[in-house]
Amino acid sequence: MNWTGKDMDTYLLQKEYIDTLVIPLVKVETKMDNMKTSASSTEFVMHLASLIETQFKGRMMFAPPFAYTPETDQQHMAQTTLREFSTTTFKHVFFLTTDHTWTAMELPGQVIWMPSIPLENMDASLRNSILEDQLRQALPKFTEEWSKH
Amino acid sequence: MSSKVSRRQFLSYTLMGVGGFMVSATLMPMVRFAVDPVLQPKGEGDFIPTPQKVDELTETPVRVDFTIKDRKDGWYKSDVSNTAWVYKEGDTVIALSPVCKHLGCTVNWEGDEKHKNEFFCPCHNGRYEKNGKNIPGSPPLGPLDEYVVEVVDGYVHLGKTVPNTLV
Ligand code: FES
Repeated sequence: MNWTGKDMDTYLLQKEYIDTLVIPLVKVETKMDNMKTSASSTEFVMHLASLIETQFKGRMMFAPPFAYTPETDQQHMAQTTLREFSTTTFKHVFFLTTDHTWTAMELPGQVIWMPSIPLENMDASLRNSILEDQLRQALPKFTEEWSKH
Repeated sequence: MSSKVSRRQFLSYTLMGVGGFMVSATLMPMVRFAVDPVLQPKGEGDFIPTPQKVDELTETPVRVDFTIKDRKDGWYKSDVSNTAWVYKEGDTVIALSPVCKHLGCTVNWEGDEKHKNEFFCPCHNGRYEKNGKNIPGSPPLGPLDEYVVEVVDGYVHLGKTVPNTLV
């Protein structure tokens, strides 16, 4: 499910089935030299999110991406904005990111960290197979968490 | 009042004209955006070629990926990737939609070791027979949709999805 009115309606009716929330975290660089990398990894995260969404539409809700800049105190963001997700009605919460910093922080859910792969010069089918490989690697994290409760 | 258009009238007419134009310009793509464009080929009889040769099909469903080029979604064009599970039944080519009829996850052929010869939905253990018939006791309430199939020069071409005709 996506964070849209229509999908949210479905969620509200099917809460016991759609029990997982995924929150993409993306870093938006402000310096010219880093902007390309930042754009490219955002593209990667969003494509990956959309692939996971199609595969697991009926179980996962995707929040809009949370963006921050280099000056953001990520520790603080983890303890305030992101901590609010600990009271959500979703049973399982995941954060999807290419920013390694998050793996060292305490978040109200599991961090799925993926190394960013530049997709911009690939055609649709190559891009898809690359993303599917990445999903296959992340999958055990989801299934393991699901099997816990 | 004179029949000449006053300055005020002129202004209000032109402004309304511009406003009306602006409204329709923003509304049109929004309407397109609202009508889910992903699963709807552009019209009846619109077939999309796949890389799958009919000769190479067997009775075991295989995954066939195909791309709808330049799908217009709102303001921008993009290619949409789609998938079908395709197999042969005698001489007929059958293509099933992978979209689970429970809440829309993607189903896999033999996606679970415990259930051979079935489609499996990983989200809530939904199960379907090979012809797409949902197995009672698992969450899906209806059979998998079917694609309209056309064979062109030995290749599978897929049209729109229709309710399952096999069960
Ligand atoms: S979405 Fe397939 S079983 Fe629930």
